[in-house]
Amino acid sequence: MTLLNGILAFGAAAFAIPLLIHLLNRSRFRTVSWGAMHLLESVLRVNQRRVRIEQIILLLIRCAIPIVLAFCLARPVLTGWRALPGDAPTSMVILLDNSYSMDTADNGHARLAKAIDHAAQIVAALPRGSEISIVRTGGEPSPLLERPIFDAKTMARQLQQVRGGYGASDPAKALESGLGILAGMSHARRDLIFISDFQQSDWDVTTPDRMAKIRRQIDSMPIRPTITLLDLGDTVEENISVDSLEFSARALGANEDLQIRANLRNHGSKAYDAVRLRFQIDGAEQTGSQIALPAKATAQTLFTCRFPVAGSHLVAVEAAADDRLATDNRCEAAVPVLDRIGVVLVDGAPSNQPLEGETDFLAVALTPYTYGRAKLSDLIETKTISPGELDEKALTEARVIILANVPKLKDEQVELLSRYLGGGGSLLVFSGNKIDIAWYNKVLFSDGAGLLPLPWNEVAGGVGGEEKPLRIVSQHFEHPALEIFNNRENGNLADAEIHKWYRLGQASPNAADPFVLARLESGDPLIVQRQFGEGSVVQVATACDAEWSNLPMRPIYLPLMQQLVTTMASEATPPSNFPAGQPLVAVLPGQSQASPLGLTTPDGARHTVQPVPRGTQSVVEYAQTQEPGVYTLVGADAQPLHFVAQVSRTESDLRMLDATRIQSLAAELGADGVSSAAEYSALDRSRRHGREIWRVLLAGVLGLMFLELALEQRFARVRT
Amino acid sequence: MEGFCSGLHRSPHKGFSVEFKEHRPYVRGDEVRSIDWKIFGKTDRLYIREHEQETNLRSTILLDTSGSMGYCGVRAGGISKHHYAVRLTACLAYLMLEQQDSVGLVTFDSEVRRYIPPRGRASHLRAILDELGKSRPQVETELAQVFHELAAKIHRRSLVIIISDCFGDVDQLLKALARFRHARHDMIVFQIWDPDELDFPFRQWTQFESLETPAHRRLVDPAHLRQAYLENLKRFRDQLTAGCHRHRIDLVPMTTDRPYAEALASYLAIRRRLK
Repeated sequence: MTLLNGILAFGAAAFAIPLLIHLLNRSRFRTVSWGAMHLLESVLRVNQRRVRIEQIILLLIRCAIPIVLAFCLARPVLTGWRALPGDAPTSMVILLDNSYSMDTADNGHARLAKAIDHAAQIVAALPRGSEISIVRTGGEPSPLLERPIFDAKTMARQLQQVRGGYGASDPAKALESGLGILAGMSHARRDLIFISDFQQSDWDVTTPDRMAKIRRQIDSMPIRPTITLLDLGDTVEENISVDSLEFSARALGANEDLQIRANLRNHGSKAYDAVRLRFQIDGAEQTGSQIALPAKATAQTLFTCRFPVAGSHLVAVEAAADDRLATDNRCEAAVPVLDRIGVVLVDGAPSNQPLEGETDFLAVALTPYTYGRAKLSDLIETKTISPGELDEKALTEARVIILANVPKLKDEQVELLSRYLGGGGSLLVFSGNKIDIAWYNKVLFSDGAGLLPLPWNEVAGGVGGEEKPLRIVSQHFEHPALEIFNNRENGNLADAEIHKWYRLGQASPNAADPFVLARLESGDPLIVQRQFGEGSVVQVATACDAEWSNLPMRPIYLPLMQQLVTTMASEATPPSNFPAGQPLVAVLPGQSQASPLGLTTPDGARHTVQPVPRGTQSVVEYAQTQEPGVYTLVGADAQPLHFVAQVSRTESDLRMLDATRIQSLAAELGADGVSSAAEYSALDRSRRHGREIWRVLLAGVLGLMFLELALEQRFARVRT
Repeated sequence: MEGFCSGLHRSPHKGFSVEFKEHRPYVRGDEVRSIDWKIFGKTDRLYIREHEQETNLRSTILLDTSGSMGYCGVRAGGISKHHYAVRLTACLAYLMLEQQDSVGLVTFDSEVRRYIPPRGRASHLRAILDELGKSRPQVETELAQVFHELAAKIHRRSLVIIISDCFGDVDQLLKALARFRHARHDMIVFQIWDPDELDFPFRQWTQFESLETPAHRRLVDPAHLRQAYLENLKRFRDQLTAGCHRHRIDLVPMTTDRPYAEALASYLAIRRRLK
């Protein structure tokens, strides 16, 4: 505790005045020769002890009055929290919530703008030499600048660059991040300020264990930080959001129909009879629709579109609503439209006769228009080569490599395939009567370390014998490649008869179990898949020609192979739509893309990214995708590649923590709650300089005077 | 009234006197000399002639000269309770002697200091005034004991006037007064108060020193005791008033800032009622 007018504290010596008066009164009494002593005596007999106690009480109060008054005039300041001089520089971390709920408009101004304003005021008020770090908590917590800086002006300028619209905050992670940064800062005074709208959905998922962990983290810090919660939020009842756009992940070719399903949600209690939806492709409005959105309900609407030109396209669905949060009324997605999918068929048993070669049926199934001489063009472009022709050049042009009854490969070819798969390629392996099982199992499976998902075991079934053919189990297919067969209108896989196949062995204990796409009636896996590096390998237990099964003769063969190959091709392509915060990955064909590329981020800034060779391809990775929105990569061929960083719509539920919960949260963290920078400044002053208590003391003086008066009256009352 | 000297007061006794009252038939035992022989001569019947006798008032004033009567407050104009009582006594004595009543005086504190028997002569006033002039308030009071003693001493029925502050045990005092009443004395008690004793006006620290026992001192903050004192005083006065009323004793409270005329008026009013 310190005294601002310390000299006046000596006035406390005035406590002696009532004491002296009391003593003087006792010593300078008047003497009265009194007759009615018998009346006085009886009063004294009953009241003497009481009167003495009352006199002591009154004397104490009267002595206390000048003491408290002097103390009040001396302007005492409580400095219980203060460990350093008031103007000592501080190390401060501001956790700034820039999740998209902060875009909510309050009186025409976004909450984020207010948050930035408050943060700027707080930063501007810091003592010289203070160390500052600002962490944006939207999505993943990310510091505004890589390291804390000592320049408040620079930080104030940087604050103005903070953009909103980010995904849901993880308050616990943000606090952990902030405390972690604070632990590495230099000053002996540490402040952590969390500026947020304190959205209920964010805190509801924060478990008590996480909070306890944070509490332990705070307690374990050598210098305990002061924590302040600056609440800017109030609950908003009405809000609708376009939650997501869903469409098939299968590779899409030009002029193919694509169905896009928009999911909408009404978070409020007000029902919308007709929400107008706008569907846009590459910024141009295509069509519109209206949808009824009952209170607290979800709804879906379907848009069908077609892209005449191959390339990367942007689609968007926007709901025209007048709610206070406009950010979530629009949802975007990138749709890659392929010009062609290069598929290399490695034929292990070629033939000059029609449909006698190992890959002949496959080539027809993958390029039906070409073989049918139709006007339409195939999405897939096949190239059939012999096993000896499998080299780097062949792999460069291929999205999918198909090994059909290939007896064995050279070691360098295996190495090449490994690199190809590691860079995100896809490999489809069919068995056949020519494959060298021992080589496959030893080299390609290699006890789980190789490319092959499972080892080949013995041949099962037989052709032309008495063995009964087996059928594919018609189950519910989980894999995207076979999903269409869940609808029987698209064909029934069980129509095909498999006469001969390889039984597949067990996966290596060291490797993950492969995913079984389809099984035979005997339970033997027919189609299995596993990841290898960035790519994937699909292994089929039977041959792709008509020798071991009648599959190529069945109508389902074409869609099966088309789906399998296009799905593999699209799986090999990194997603164009990914959760914000995950790295943006673009795979460019060949290793020739060595020149830097331009990347435009959602804030409009242009960055230069350098592709790196991976396998037989080039890969661009960009990790700074915290900000949701469209990232556009412009390659050497000037064709833009769009990527959309998406966020979940949990932030669209605009219910905020009420005052009670914020108080309990503050109590749990040992924090103080404020609602503005001005309040924080007052709180900070009290923390730095202590809290002036002269008002309390003045009230105390008045209270003592009143008490003295009341007791004086009370004690004078009759007591006989 | 009953008295030896004829005065203004009517005597309850019938006897020899010039004031004829009535005739009544003679009964055995009547004095022969009371027979009205003129009536006998006319009617041959014996009648007794009765006369109404006028007697003087026989009164005794008991003056308290204890130390507590020496108190003199500021508002009393320098007149202590004792001075006030002495003057009141002198007035009453003069008034009664002027009415040819007999008046006596007893001064007392813890015991009877001086007893002047009732006389009706005008020169008796001198003796009373001399005694009053010599009296000084001193020592303690023992009202009950003194009154018991005096009740035994005053045989003839008379008017007993007590001038005192009546400080002491109320029950004992009332018992003593009851004894006067038992002896069929009429009684008037002039209770003398100083205004200070009635409102306890002291504020600053005060050492109260007993007038009766000077060694008895009490240093107190009067402000804290005032209410309790006043309550105690009220209870004392209520007890005394109720007791006097019960014994049909006239209690006349007097404060030393009031004129004597009020006291005398009170006395005369009471006498008028007694006639």
